[in-house]
Amino acid sequence: MLPQRFDQAKPFLTLGIALLAWLLIPTAVKRMARTSFFELQAPLQTTASYVRDLQDFWSLKTRSKNELIEAGRDLARLNAAYEARLQQDAALRAELERLERILKLPTPPGYRAEPARVVLRDFSSWWQRLVIRKGHNYGLVEGAPVIYAGGVVGRVREVHAYTAVVELVSSPGVRIAATTEGDTRPISYQGGVNPTYGPAVGTVEYVPLDIFVTPSAPRRLVTSGLGGVFPPNLTIGFLIRVEPSSDGLFKSGDVRLDPALSALNEVTVLVPEPAASAR
Amino acid sequence: MKRRVLILTAASLLLVLLVGQLNHYLALWQMHVWCGGLFVAFVALRLGYRTGAASVFAAGLLLDAGVPAAFGTQGFLFLAAHAVIFTVRARAPRDETIIGVMVALFANLGLFLALCFLRMDSTMDPAQSWMRAFADLLISQIVLALIAPWFFAVQTRLLEANGTSLRATTRTSRFAL
Repeated sequence: MLPQRFDQAKPFLTLGIALLAWLLIPTAVKRMARTSFFELQAPLQTTASYVRDLQDFWSLKTRSKNELIEAGRDLARLNAAYEARLQQDAALRAELERLERILKLPTPPGYRAEPARVVLRDFSSWWQRLVIRKGHNYGLVEGAPVIYAGGVVGRVREVHAYTAVVELVSSPGVRIAATTEGDTRPISYQGGVNPTYGPAVGTVEYVPLDIFVTPSAPRRLVTSGLGGVFPPNLTIGFLIRVEPSSDGLFKSGDVRLDPALSALNEVTVLVPEPAASAR
Repeated sequence: MKRRVLILTAASLLLVLLVGQLNHYLALWQMHVWCGGLFVAFVALRLGYRTGAASVFAAGLLLDAGVPAAFGTQGFLFLAAHAVIFTVRARAPRDETIIGVMVALFANLGLFLALCFLRMDSTMDPAQSWMRAFADLLISQIVLALIAPWFFAVQTRLLEANGTSLRATTRTSRFAL
C-alpha cells in the first residue's frame, strides 16, 4: 500500500503526467478531436435554433389578417423602391465595366451573398461570436466578410460541416482598415471592451488630426476596402469621440456600434467568387 | 467506469447546451454566464478519482471545442480543480447539497479568474475589461447557485438509472472507481 503522503499527491501527479502526455500529442490529432467535439454539439444547437424559428412562426400565426395586409403593403412599397435601385445599379455596373475596359483597370473581386440564420450568440468579456447555420455545405470559407442591413457584422473565423463561427466586429481581436465617410485616409479600427447593458463599442487609431467629432455630431466609419477582405463603404459604426494620441501625430478615439448587433437573427456571408479569387 | 463517464459526459453536454441557450438570450444585454465550476463539483465530491477526472476532462474539451482558445485549456483547468477538491473532500460533509453548491461556487470563482488571466486581451483597457469580467462573474455565480441543486440531482438520477449507488461509491477506496 502507498504511503499516505504519496496517496494525497497522486491526483496532482496524474494531472502532471496527463499534461505532459497532452503536450506530446500531435497537433493534427488535437485538431481532429476539437472538430469532433464541436460537431457533436452542433446538431443540438442547430435543433434549438430550429425550435426558436418554430416558436416565431407560431407567434406570427397569432397576428391578425389586417396586420399581415399592412405588412404586405409595406413590403410591396419597399420592393418597388428596391426594383428601381436595382435598375440604377445595373446601369452603373455597365458604365463601370465600360470604363474599366477603356482604362484597362483590374476588376475588383466579386462576392456571392449567402444569407444564414444565427444559431447561437456568445458575447463574453473575452470574445463576441455568432454561430450561423451554414458551413462547408454552402461553400463558406474562413475569413469571408459577414454583413447585415446595418453594415459589417464581422468575419468568418471557423467553418464546420453545417455551421460556421463568425467573429463579431465588436470582438477585441478584430481589426479592420476603415475610413470616415467622405475621406480616403485609412484608420485602424479594433473591437473594444463591451460594457454590460450598453451597446457594443470599438476603438480607432491613426485618425488624421483634422477630423473632429462629438457625441452629438458623430461621423460614420466605413470600411476602406484595403486588405481585400471587406468591400469598401460598408458601415462599421459611428465615430463619437477622438483625442490626440500620445505621439501627437494622429488621434485615437471611440466608435459606437449598432445595438442591433446584439440581436441579430440573420446575416449575409459574402463568399469570394472563385473566378475573382483565382485572378 | 466507461459507462459512468459517458453518462456524466451526456449530463455535461446537456448543461453546455442549456447554458449556451441562456447566453444566446443574455447577449441582448451584453451579459455572459460561465458555469465551469458546476462540471467539477459533483464528480469531485461524490465519485472516484478516475471516473471523475475522465468526465471533467471530457466536459472541459466539450467547452474548449467551441471557443477560440487553445484546445485543452479548460480541460486541464477542470482537471486541476478536480484534483484540489478531491484531495480536500474528506474534510467536508460531501453528501450535502449545500456543500456541493458552495464547492461549485468556489471552483467557479477560481476557474473564472484563471480563464480571465489566460484570455484577457492585453491591448484592452484593464479597468474596463475587469469591470465587464466581474459583472459576468457575478451573474454566473447567481445562475450557478440557482441551477446547481438541479444539476446535481440530474447527475445523481442518471447514475442511479445506470445502477451506480453513490452511497456505495462514497465508502469505497479513493482510487478504486
